[in-house]
Amino acid sequence: MKKGSAFSGLAIGAFLFYMLLPILATYAFSIATRWDRSILPEGLTFEWYKVAFNDKWFTIVFKNSLVLSISTVIASVLVIVPTAYWVQLRVPKARSLLDLISTLPFAIPGVLLALGLIRLYARPPLMLARTPAMLVAAYVIFTMPFMYRPVANSLEAVDIRTLTEAAQSLGSSWGRTFREVILPNILPGILSGGLLVFATIFGEFTIATFLVGARYKTFPMQLVYFTRRDGRIASAYSVISFSIAWISSLILLWVATWGAKRTSHGSLHRKKDRPKGAVGD
Amino acid sequence: MNLRQPKISRRKSKWLDWIPLLPFLLFCLVIMVLPLFFMLRGSFTGSEGQFTLEHYAKMGASIYAKSFRNSILLSGLTAILGVLMGTVVGYFICRLPNQRVQELVTALCDVTSNFSGAPLAFAFIVILGSNGVITLAFQKYLNWKIYPTFSIYSFSGLILAYLYFQLPLMVLLIIPAIAGLKAEWREAASGLGASSRQYWRYVGLPVLAPAITGGLLLLFANAFGAFATAYTLTVFRYPLVTLQLGFLLTGEVFRDPGAGDAMGILTLLLMGISIFLYQIAAKRGRKWQQ
Repeated sequence: MKKGSAFSGLAIGAFLFYMLLPILATYAFSIATRWDRSILPEGLTFEWYKVAFNDKWFTIVFKNSLVLSISTVIASVLVIVPTAYWVQLRVPKARSLLDLISTLPFAIPGVLLALGLIRLYARPPLMLARTPAMLVAAYVIFTMPFMYRPVANSLEAVDIRTLTEAAQSLGSSWGRTFREVILPNILPGILSGGLLVFATIFGEFTIATFLVGARYKTFPMQLVYFTRRDGRIASAYSVISFSIAWISSLILLWVATWGAKRTSHGSLHRKKDRPKGAVGD
Repeated sequence: MNLRQPKISRRKSKWLDWIPLLPFLLFCLVIMVLPLFFMLRGSFTGSEGQFTLEHYAKMGASIYAKSFRNSILLSGLTAILGVLMGTVVGYFICRLPNQRVQELVTALCDVTSNFSGAPLAFAFIVILGSNGVITLAFQKYLNWKIYPTFSIYSFSGLILAYLYFQLPLMVLLIIPAIAGLKAEWREAASGLGASSRQYWRYVGLPVLAPAITGGLLLLFANAFGAFATAYTLTVFRYPLVTLQLGFLLTGEVFRDPGAGDAMGILTLLLMGISIFLYQIAAKRGRKWQQ
């Protein structure tokens, strides 16, 4: 027994080391004066952040990525939530079709989606492929599983048919029923999906590079640019990127716990909301 | 029966009910289905508009064949390593006595499985680049120069960087399956005289099998479709399928549209089959995880 637990401690320790070292080293690197000729950083400084923030591109790319992420979340909610609600309420036959469509994007790498869109829409007379609007549309497809799964699950968790009937028999209109009865009930699902979409898009590099490229520079594009030019500024960018991912994940966990409490389902059940699929890039 | 028959719930869905789905379906058609359909068509269309298989024949040429070989090797290897290591780590996490520590480690997996792309690649340059922290530590304390045998900018480095997002994904996949192994089964097995080995052979592994095969498939697809990590580390120097597709896309003029289409369709086929089989495995695995 003793031997077993020593081995298990070792395995988990090695795993944590592997998971944390690259992140912690990047955080340290970003506040080190110099760290390319000695084991420990030679000194501490915030110089690289100052240089990064003072670059006029910083505000531009940060704002662009923020605009893209928020637009994608909004567009995704608008496209997916009413559809998922309607299917659950009226067209149960369409459920398997929707499930299928929403898993398809897992099988389409970003670079492939970009290739397809450019080949089809970048030629005259359309010339639409290389616009930020098309990028947002591509992002809604790309992140569809992240939004659809949690929303569909929370629609299943509450009896939306009874709720809709009850509201309507009390004289509520469609719009009001959706806004005041359904929406509050599936809010945890929408929030989970929205946060995942936000975090994914803020760090998305591939589709943005090929669809819009330098016409609409994003935060990850600038990060990649600096990895080749100045590692210290790249480290500041990476730290910001990692921090946004941490924070989104923490809020996500918090939302999941909150949603679980509200719908009185066990937290283990809620955790399955998280769509598992291709996430690496 | 109710006094008032509710209007909504008990009627059958009619074709009219499908109309509100049209905007969504149209959106998916225009942004996802049509581009892929035209890619399929393009992959079979020659320069004069005639039907041809020449683009697929081109895939035998060295650069494309090499890209597919490398991509399959990299994805397969990191999938196998990720599944093996992830299963062991997941098993130990499940056996941690402290519930809070267990949740903390799982949360860490949740976060790190999403760390990929450019910042992750850069983090690996920081620790294992030619002047990286670990590279220097090895040199100084062990007098061991890991370069050029190992390089973060080559295949060995890509494996290490890809495993970083593969491993926590597998841990997340296997934990519910391991949690589904009920203590009573083990007790029942040993009560009936089964050895620990027999328990794993006839009870444990069969219950975990869907999660393990599913994990292999999902991790394979996950790595095969990845682009940004490899691009940040190698630019276009190392032939991988996604990098090659990206390379064909650079510049306003397409280098070889037909070849790009054919490569795209083969990629889609490979990833589609993996994800489809993964879905089946996941459905089967859910049986044990109520």
